[in-house]
Amino acid sequence: MLRYALRRGGWTVVQLAVLSVVVFLLTDLLPGDAATVDFNEQAGLDQVAQLREQMGLDRPAAERFADWAHGLLTGDLGTSLVGGGPVSGVLARSVTATAALAAVTLLLLVPLAVVIGLVTGLRAGSRTDRVVSAVTLTLTSVPDFVLALLLVALFSLRLGWLPSTWVGADDLWWQRPELFVLPVAVLLARTVCVLSRQIRAGTLTSLNAGYTVQARRLGVPPVRLVLRHLLPNAAVPGVQELARTGDHLLGGVLVVEAVFAVPGTATALVEAVQNRDVPTVQALTLTLAAVACLLNLAADLVSRRLAPRTEVLR
Amino acid sequence: MEPVIEVRGLTARAGTAVLLDRVGLTVAPGEVTALVGPSGSGKTTAALALLGESATGVRLSGEVEVAGTTVVSADGPARLAPSVRGRVVAYMPQHPAHALNPARRTGSVLAELARLHRPGGGRRPAAAGYAAEALRTAGLPDDLATRRRFPHQFSGGQRQRVALAQVLVCGPRAVVLDEPSTGLDTVARLRLAGELTRLAADGIAVLLLSHDHDLVRAVATRTVLMDRGRVTAEGRTADLLPARPAAPVPAPAPGPAPSPGGGRAALHARDLSAWLRPGRRGEVLRDVTVRVPEAGCTAVVGPSGSGKTVLARCLAGLHERHDGQVSLFGEPLPVLRHRTPRQIRGVQYVWQEVRNSFDERRTVLEQVARTAVRLRGLSPREAERRAMRVWERLGLSSEHAARHAGSLSGGELQRAALARALLAEPAVLICDEITTALDEVSTRAVTEEITRLREGSGTAVLWIGHDLRLVELLADDLVVLDAGTVVDHGDRRAVLSSPRSETTRLLLRSRHLGAAAAGGTPTPYDLRREGQPHS
Repeated sequence: MLRYALRRGGWTVVQLAVLSVVVFLLTDLLPGDAATVDFNEQAGLDQVAQLREQMGLDRPAAERFADWAHGLLTGDLGTSLVGGGPVSGVLARSVTATAALAAVTLLLLVPLAVVIGLVTGLRAGSRTDRVVSAVTLTLTSVPDFVLALLLVALFSLRLGWLPSTWVGADDLWWQRPELFVLPVAVLLARTVCVLSRQIRAGTLTSLNAGYTVQARRLGVPPVRLVLRHLLPNAAVPGVQELARTGDHLLGGVLVVEAVFAVPGTATALVEAVQNRDVPTVQALTLTLAAVACLLNLAADLVSRRLAPRTEVLR
Repeated sequence: MEPVIEVRGLTARAGTAVLLDRVGLTVAPGEVTALVGPSGSGKTTAALALLGESATGVRLSGEVEVAGTTVVSADGPARLAPSVRGRVVAYMPQHPAHALNPARRTGSVLAELARLHRPGGGRRPAAAGYAAEALRTAGLPDDLATRRRFPHQFSGGQRQRVALAQVLVCGPRAVVLDEPSTGLDTVARLRLAGELTRLAADGIAVLLLSHDHDLVRAVATRTVLMDRGRVTAEGRTADLLPARPAAPVPAPAPGPAPSPGGGRAALHARDLSAWLRPGRRGEVLRDVTVRVPEAGCTAVVGPSGSGKTVLARCLAGLHERHDGQVSLFGEPLPVLRHRTPRQIRGVQYVWQEVRNSFDERRTVLEQVARTAVRLRGLSPREAERRAMRVWERLGLSSEHAARHAGSLSGGELQRAALARALLAEPAVLICDEITTALDEVSTRAVTEEITRLREGSGTAVLWIGHDLRLVELLADDLVVLDAGTVVDHGDRRAVLSSPRSETTRLLLRSRHLGAAAAGGTPTPYDLRREGQPHS
């Protein structure tokens, strides 16, 4: 297990290194750069070229990459071409909002999906199963923006219970929990279904497996049977799905951020791309990709513990 | 003494079919009672009724009382039935590989069961103590390494011991063992006999379900004979199952007798080494050479954990962490996922626990016939017709054919798996303990089919088995494995009559259970063998 963890961790480092190259090359391929955006349309070509020289954009790609990578390793993400401030500031502002939203969603999602998955799995085919499955499936099939607008129309406009937007909350959003209710509800509606279906399928498989039957015959009481004997096996597909969900949530769900005007990563990324603010785009993309890698690393390690038999494959 | 288990008029019905018809039996503490009968005679149904359990759609009625608690009454399982499970009656199923949770460490499950059932087991050290004791009684080492292992890190025979330890750690007053000698080599079976006798001596009531008459004769004081859901006789084992003088499996016509070592080699493995874990760690085979000539039969025997199954899996291309050459008619064989359809067809593998290899959503015959469609390009109709022919020769009825895997017994599925491999018309057939769940009639059908194949189609057979009688019946050549190396090999008669290794001598010595069981205790040699970590 330790060996596997070390090897898998080593690969993650390699992945991150490759990612940094890919991210740099891709952002380099973007048409236009900050120099072209900074000026209005009347700017002459020589003015643009002069600015480009000032910003160091005319140097060869390899040189710029070396600079950038060196900065990354020393913790310096560069300077935003638009605001002039450090990129890490932009990153910190946008990531905290998204991370808070994702954390709240995950905190509710995991227990909810596990309970729904277990209940529907243990009573597969029953009325409860059919009703719950129908509801979760319907919620998944409704597009985010439709659901978001419906919720806003009902709870904000008609009933006036909840705020419909983060505009005006500025940096004090963390003091106003009511801001979270609607975005989290929309995010949950999409993710609970997928995750609970995975756990339901896993539960069904392990419910009929010989080890569950034998544990019951050895007098393991029902609740303990489900939590200690069944769930570890049933959770395997769910853990991988959870990593994908977490990744998706942290990457910022653009639709939700746009509807509720959440100042999160997706909004920041779109803004940075529009401004050709290359250092910000690079830093944001790399951070999100790194988070995705780490989440999948965690999921792989957990799955490995839950399904240790995989070591004999191949 | 007051019986622990009392069964009167136990009846089980599934729809209109009667699975058990007014069965009565008692199991007294301090002795082994055997429930003997052919496959499908209702032994397992009766045993599960002792826990108040039945398959879906099966209705129980009658009277089952366990240590004073009513488990089954006239209107089915009683409310208190779950309270006896584990604590009073512990059941050990036939195929322990399926009964162990793949995600849980051995020690943690044992400690959990001890905490549930043992007085004072709620405290951690006490539970660990019970767990260690159960492991020792079941014949496994009780060190930390063993307790931290996952089920897949044990060999087939060791898994059975882990399952037994789980049963024992509950501290039950009665133990029900369903075909515990399935898949055990002669040495391990001898040990098992010793363990059963010791359990009974400790005052536990032991109910042994078995079609292994030798084992029953060796350990059981009383025997209940069952056939088609009825008790046909009950009494002292010595009266009901007198020792038979002759070999019980009538020999079919002796196979073609190829000159020893003669014939073109169909399957040849040279200097095969195999590892369980990446980076060549956990060596299970070292420089093993096995040769199976065309129309020949080479048997591989050895104590449990000696690497027999890993060898079979290497040859079948399933175990990829190996080194050495495997060739089919001189042509090198890669691992399974790189084999051509012709090579896949050429080498077919039948293994021991086949239930998981059948799809629950299609009938068994359909899946058996599919081999011929996929590998030989027959039409589905034609394939099904041929499947039916093999099917019937193996003693399965057309009624079995339309059923799904879940409703077939272990023995029926084992034969279905053989039929599935045979439909490929392979050049080499690898049989890994394929008769373990079979009674004598079915075993005979299987051996006759294998002899027919060798004579008719020149199929080469690699036979892995613990039953030396069958090995004598089938094999020309013999390879004895121990701890992953070949310790003895050559012509079967020569090896068995003048064994060169201690392992062979031990296997031969322990084959006669009745005689050996009197001498009782397992040898220190065996303890060492079983205790060695598998990975």
